[in-house]
Amino acid sequence: MANYYDIDDILAEEELVSVVFQKAVNGVGIDPSSETDSVEPGSKVELPFWLAHELHLRQIATMKLPPCFNQKTRLELGADAACVDLRSRCPYFYEFGCKIAPLVGDRDMGSFLLSAFKNRYQEVLAKAHTAAFAAASKSLTVLTKEETNLYEAAQSSMAAFKKWRIGGPRFQKAAVLGRKRKPTE
Amino acid sequence: MAGQSDPHPSHFSAQEVEFMAEDEIIEIVPNMKMEPLNLICGDYGPFFPQMVTQVPIWLAIALKKRGKCAIRPPSWMSIESLTRILESERESQEAFQVLPFHYVEISRLLFDHARDDISDIYMVRSLIEDIRDVRFHKVETSLESFEDARSSAVRINNLSAMEVNIVRPFVGRALQAFYKHGSPDLIPNPERVSNSISNRWQQAPDQGQRRPLRKR
Repeated sequence: MANYYDIDDILAEEELVSVVFQKAVNGVGIDPSSETDSVEPGSKVELPFWLAHELHLRQIATMKLPPCFNQKTRLELGADAACVDLRSRCPYFYEFGCKIAPLVGDRDMGSFLLSAFKNRYQEVLAKAHTAAFAAASKSLTVLTKEETNLYEAAQSSMAAFKKWRIGGPRFQKAAVLGRKRKPTE
Repeated sequence: MAGQSDPHPSHFSAQEVEFMAEDEIIEIVPNMKMEPLNLICGDYGPFFPQMVTQVPIWLAIALKKRGKCAIRPPSWMSIESLTRILESERESQEAFQVLPFHYVEISRLLFDHARDDISDIYMVRSLIEDIRDVRFHKVETSLESFEDARSSAVRINNLSAMEVNIVRPFVGRALQAFYKHGSPDLIPNPERVSNSISNRWQQAPDQGQRRPLRKR
């Protein structure tokens, strides 16, 4: 419940999942390819996760593993985790994986996510504090939202420290003071 | 707090850490005579000319600005002791040397306000900058290697306040992410995973000064 208002959580649940309907559903226009307003059992539809989750709980549909977690991605992550462009596949890779793992029945999703995160962390994020701008822009494009948060937290605290170290006046002039007043006629 | 608009209000800004550092005690040599100051935080004085008195830094700077005293640099800020500290920092890869908790802030405050009271100020300043760089590199390298996924805390000895403040948001979030992805309900076979992790533990027996506080 602590994540109810978290915007990242809300956006992570927006990711699409393909589901297979078990029962016929009437009166909903979910499937854009069918002409009628009902969904046949056994038809495959792409739905956002929050909707698929509810349907799964009511046993109306079963979820399949989304394509961003398929074998190809796993092999790539096993080869070199730091270079895999996770943002284009799924910017909420880790959160989404955490949510979907118990529903799809994937046993090694958790450890797979963990090892992927660990490898990427070692390569990229541990140098986040002092990364020069040139190297930063290349590695930033492949990070998921979560990793980007980490990266920016490190960068901003380092920048604040540097700014403080330079010193300068301890007080800031208020913006209203600089304006000149026109003499009243 | 300066970070009110941030989603994590528990972080300090650099100015706030400096403000807290101003409570440290430092020695001054007043050049006037004054009655004791009875303040809420304590009594300071009486002040006699050329008698060394101990006051907090904020009071020392205030008196210095009014030209009423000269600040004596603390004993760790001499060139010999700083050179010694720098040598031992460069030698040991893991351990940090014992330095005052607020050494970064104290040194910056003294450079700004008591420039003429420190002898060889350029040498001292460059030594402190070097010490800071070496320590921060050590912090970074130790951050890279703490991912035993089962640990829920990291411990590094003898780190100073400003260094802790720089890495605080990053380490907090990283540990949270590790905890979330490594939680037992997500990994159904923790024995299988922990076997590979315990092998890695045997490789690092000498990192005694840094260990997770609680292994899951």
